Amino acid sequence: MEFDFSSFFAFILFGVTIGVVYGIVALGISLIYSGLDIVHFAHGELYMFGAFIGLFFSQTMGFPYPVALVLAMLCAGVLGMGIERVFYRRLTKSGGGYTVAGMGMIICGFGMSIVLMNVAFLIWGAAAEPFPVDLGMPYQIGDIALPKSYALTAVVSVFLMITLHYFLKKTKAGLAVRAVAANKDIASLMGINVSRMISLIFGLACGLAAAAGVLIGPLQSVQVEMGYLMLLKAFAAAVVGGFGSLPGAIAGGIIVGITENLGAAYISPSHKDIYAFLLLILVLMFKPSGLFGVVARVKA
Amino acid sequence: MFKLNKNYLAGALAGVMVAGMAMGAVAAEIRIGITMRMISENGQKYGQMMMDEFDMINKAGGINGNMIKATLMNDECKSDKGVANSIKLINQKQVHLLIGSSCSSVTLPIVDITAKAGVPHLVPHSTNAKITKKGSAWVFRVPVSGRYYAGVNAKYVGENVGKKIAYLCAADAASQNDCEAMQKQMKAQHGADPAYVAQVQEKEVDFRTHMQKIKTAGVDGIMIAALAETMARALIQSYEAGIPASVRRIGSSSASNSPVPTIAGAAAKGVFFAAAYAAADTRPVARLFNEMVKQRYGIHAPDHDFSQAYDLVRIAEIALNNANLTLDSASLAADRTSIRDAIANIENYNGLASGPISFCADATPQCRDGNRTAVLIAYTKGGKNYVTEVLARVTMPADFGL
Repeated sequence: MEFDFSSFFAFILFGVTIGVVYGIVALGISLIYSGLDIVHFAHGELYMFGAFIGLFFSQTMGFPYPVALVLAMLCAGVLGMGIERVFYRRLTKSGGGYTVAGMGMIICGFGMSIVLMNVAFLIWGAAAEPFPVDLGMPYQIGDIALPKSYALTAVVSVFLMITLHYFLKKTKAGLAVRAVAANKDIASLMGINVSRMISLIFGLACGLAAAAGVLIGPLQSVQVEMGYLMLLKAFAAAVVGGFGSLPGAIAGGIIVGITENLGAAYISPSHKDIYAFLLLILVLMFKPSGLFGVVARVKA
Repeated sequence: MFKLNKNYLAGALAGVMVAGMAMGAVAAEIRIGITMRMISENGQKYGQMMMDEFDMINKAGGINGNMIKATLMNDECKSDKGVANSIKLINQKQVHLLIGSSCSSVTLPIVDITAKAGVPHLVPHSTNAKITKKGSAWVFRVPVSGRYYAGVNAKYVGENVGKKIAYLCAADAASQNDCEAMQKQMKAQHGADPAYVAQVQEKEVDFRTHMQKIKTAGVDGIMIAALAETMARALIQSYEAGIPASVRRIGSSSASNSPVPTIAGAAAKGVFFAAAYAAADTRPVARLFNEMVKQRYGIHAPDHDFSQAYDLVRIAEIALNNANLTLDSASLAADRTSIRDAIANIENYNGLASGPISFCADATPQCRDGNRTAVLIAYTKGGKNYVTEVLARVTMPADFGL
């Protein structure tokens, strides 16, 4: 097939729109990693919970889509804080600090993932649910029809990133979060309530995951098993961008999204999921700290 | 030597008699094991309907006075669980008849288990042609085989849609079979090679790259062979990519399942597919069945997996009534053989299915693919209150596609 520039542009566009969603979930994973030095394996399920909560507010309660998005973020944020407070904090306290060395937290995350999936199954059942949002006719860019839901996903994702960046860089609470991420003991000595900040980090991360779920809902429908693949892609994004790096998470998401779309378009469409993970392996082999990460250092 | 107390003796005798009666009651049960995909609401309802129908047979006096004890297990459409369920049902529950599964990828390994154990095996939903090609003397398929569906679809597509067809094939066994068989039939009947082929994950969510390439290829039709929810997503994204309605969407057999029109909504309109039952069927038996399913299970328009589950119970009932059953602990193998032979003798069963169902004794696909009539159905309206119309009804020769 001869090279078609219009299609190439479309593949890039598709990659960016799905990539920013990977990026938002990766952002949450990176935030939690920054705060607790752990990889949160139940994050995909919070993304799924967010999607279902958004669906509930949008379809059952009849709220406008943007309102449903905000409410889903708030609910998932509260849920995340609750999970951290009730389950994870007990583990970190038992370790005598704020983080847990070893496998305890990782195994707990896996367990939480299965628990949340089964709770969702009990509440919403196994069937996929459509998430219809009527945003009108697609934008026509040359030969490319860009549905407004894709454009909205990109715009909201960028807005969320800017807001998070502003929060972390320009507010007192953001400064406290960054202090906790850098060194919890010193942050504590400075009078920062570290436990509360960790709860806040969890809430923010889970709110972001919910936003991604609500944004992806109209594109792909909503179902209980939707979190698993998204988690893997978000991990790939976080690693490619540099684990713990917030701008890196977004950049990693976009790179992963574009790579898998171009791979599917020009190498083999039948192995779309391979490209993201091949990229992940290559980055780990040649630049383990990720494209935007800093060389790993010992943290408190 | 201790002295026998009369009361103890009477008690012991009574105990022995009660135990004997209980053993007799167990021996007089006809045990049926069912393993099906129960992870979707519809899947649970197919299973529930089978259990309800067996229950009604019992309430009406059972099979020649013997009660049916059905055990329903969920295999989640996973091969390992289906195999584990079958082994448990055959060896622990000692079933006389095994029913399963909904998914071809699960049924395929179960065929080997029932063949080895010598257990009659009725297939309720799986369409993969390889199921009966394995040559097991114990397997009987109630639904229409994928090889017949492909023939009907290819004939209609070549004559009414065009020959430039793109194929999106999901990784599950039924979709793979439907996709391959359709390509083979398009080549055989019309000399047409695929315009585009891509394999996708069983639960693929993002088809945009494929749709952009298909749009650029300028095809006459797109065949989407996938399980219901995946197909619905692909249909929606085909319109989002700007592929016009004039490019016809062709579904694999799972297009009949209600999540397709429900999730796809307006994108389901115009999709056509071959199936074994049309809710738009005007026969009185079909009207009554639709009404029953609506009232009992809240399903707006039953798909062919409902009708096939219902027909299967009726076929099992006929076979069990005709079988020469002893039903004691020593006769299990003989009872199983007798049930198998009774199923093989079923000829021209006319139920809800698109055509009569007949089996015969040879362990060949010609004998064991019971229904050879496919009905071609199109959605004229999507959404929860979807509407279908019948485009054609075609009976294929027994050896078609072999």
